[in-house]
Amino acid sequence: MVDFLQALVDGVMLGATYSLLGLGFTLIFGVLRRLNLAFGPTILVGIYAGSHVGLAWPGALWAVVAATVVAAILCGIYVERCSFRALARQAPVVSMISTFAVWMQLQELVSLFEASRTMPYPSPAWLPALTVGPILLRSDALLMWSGATAIMLALFVLLYRTRFGTAVRAVADSSEAAALMGVNVSIIGAAAFLLASTVGGLAGVLIAQSQQQVTPYFGLWATVKGLTAMLLGGAGSLPGAVAGGVILGVVETQTLWHFGGQWRDLASFALLFLVIALSPRARSEPTL
Amino acid sequence: MLEVRDVVTSYGMIQALRGVSLTAREGEVTCILGPNGAGKTTLLYTIAGILRPRSGSISFQGRELAGTSAPDVVGRGISLVPENRLVFPHMTVRENLFAGAYVRLGRDRAGVEADLDAMFARFPILKQRAGQAAGTLSGGEQQMLAVARALMARPRLLMMDEPSLGLAPLVVEQIFQIVQGLNREGITVLLVEQNARLALSIAHHAYLLEQGRIAFHGTPSEVSANEGISRAYLGIKGG
Repeated sequence: MVDFLQALVDGVMLGATYSLLGLGFTLIFGVLRRLNLAFGPTILVGIYAGSHVGLAWPGALWAVVAATVVAAILCGIYVERCSFRALARQAPVVSMISTFAVWMQLQELVSLFEASRTMPYPSPAWLPALTVGPILLRSDALLMWSGATAIMLALFVLLYRTRFGTAVRAVADSSEAAALMGVNVSIIGAAAFLLASTVGGLAGVLIAQSQQQVTPYFGLWATVKGLTAMLLGGAGSLPGAVAGGVILGVVETQTLWHFGGQWRDLASFALLFLVIALSPRARSEPTL
Repeated sequence: MLEVRDVVTSYGMIQALRGVSLTAREGEVTCILGPNGAGKTTLLYTIAGILRPRSGSISFQGRELAGTSAPDVVGRGISLVPENRLVFPHMTVRENLFAGAYVRLGRDRAGVEADLDAMFARFPILKQRAGQAAGTLSGGEQQMLAVARALMARPRLLMMDEPSLGLAPLVVEQIFQIVQGLNREGITVLLVEQNARLALSIAHHAYLLEQGRIAFHGTPSEVSANEGISRAYLGIKGG
């Protein structure tokens, strides 16, 4: 029972960052109706930038955070220009394939300059761990969860309580009607992309400080986790992406605890298949 | 109020509007009749700034409108209730109304809130459904929401594209009473409608659009008196 609870708590904390990745995917997919496979790799570049800043100025955590987020945003702008704005008149599948090409570019660039080395990423080691009864809350996991929750709250206030958020959700619901209401659809699309990159960069900081290292395969990892979280939640629903991330995290930690690490990803993909096969929501039109 | 002169709009190589001229006079209901594919929706979208005319001019209250972007057109007082209503299905009724006021939401929050209350007073059913996702409303309720959403931008010219489409006769009558009421309050209406008899019953002036050109225009009684048009659009034999 304690094992189950411990794994549940670990899963919720890990899952909060998957939720952030899922929200990033959902923002882009919901508003532009196009899949951005290069979302993970843009975060990868951000984390490498943060890692270098961390090596150059040990202890300057804020500089590491800023470097990670800014690099992720710049990379996001590059992806938006190449795969979305330049191909806006092409079929959505053309955008998706081109994001795959950009993904490979980014991953190869990082591998070239880093020679596939594992790079360290600083974490605020002074934070204490908490014990609640028999449950241990690791400091890095607590930071992951509280950081992700704060970012999600801010994001939901922005999307559900502001004029900008109304425009974003209106474009996601019907871009034609939104244009008739006077919403500049292309500007809102670019802004949603920028917002997703920012969320991705922040998620990158939270994940990397917990793992304390990064390899060039982080891009693949983040894309897979984010896509799975989004699809588990019903492809395009913002609250769904939050739930999808948490479910994915819990399934992973429970599998890890009870069956061992080698089953972890197999279990989450089996779950993803079941959800897509059984849920009508997962196969319906995307919405925010 | 609205002067459309020799407007040509194309989709690639295909000319949808081949030199359309039309006037919507202030305080009147002007209706556009015509078969499917005549270019009626294209005309409304060109006025709304969603489509750019290849040539011709559109002036509104004496100022040129052709080539103006959609947000500026809404800001200058023209709103469109689109065909098939196009409410935002996953947003609540209240959020749909806020989205309708998008162009003035930033600078006139208090005015928007007041208008929201006014809409709820005018359409009590929308108040009952305020927190409900718009996609769960009936067709008639969605049409009312689409009209209310357009009104939230405080238009001087309200354009409506096929408001009767897919609605039960009683509901259609209700919608037309609303349109007539709005017109009596001073809103100029440009109405595209397949139901010619109903449209003519509230219109002051009617245009017949065929294959991208205005084929005929006149008062409703002049339209009804024209034998060919009556036969084709009103289902009356003889004339």
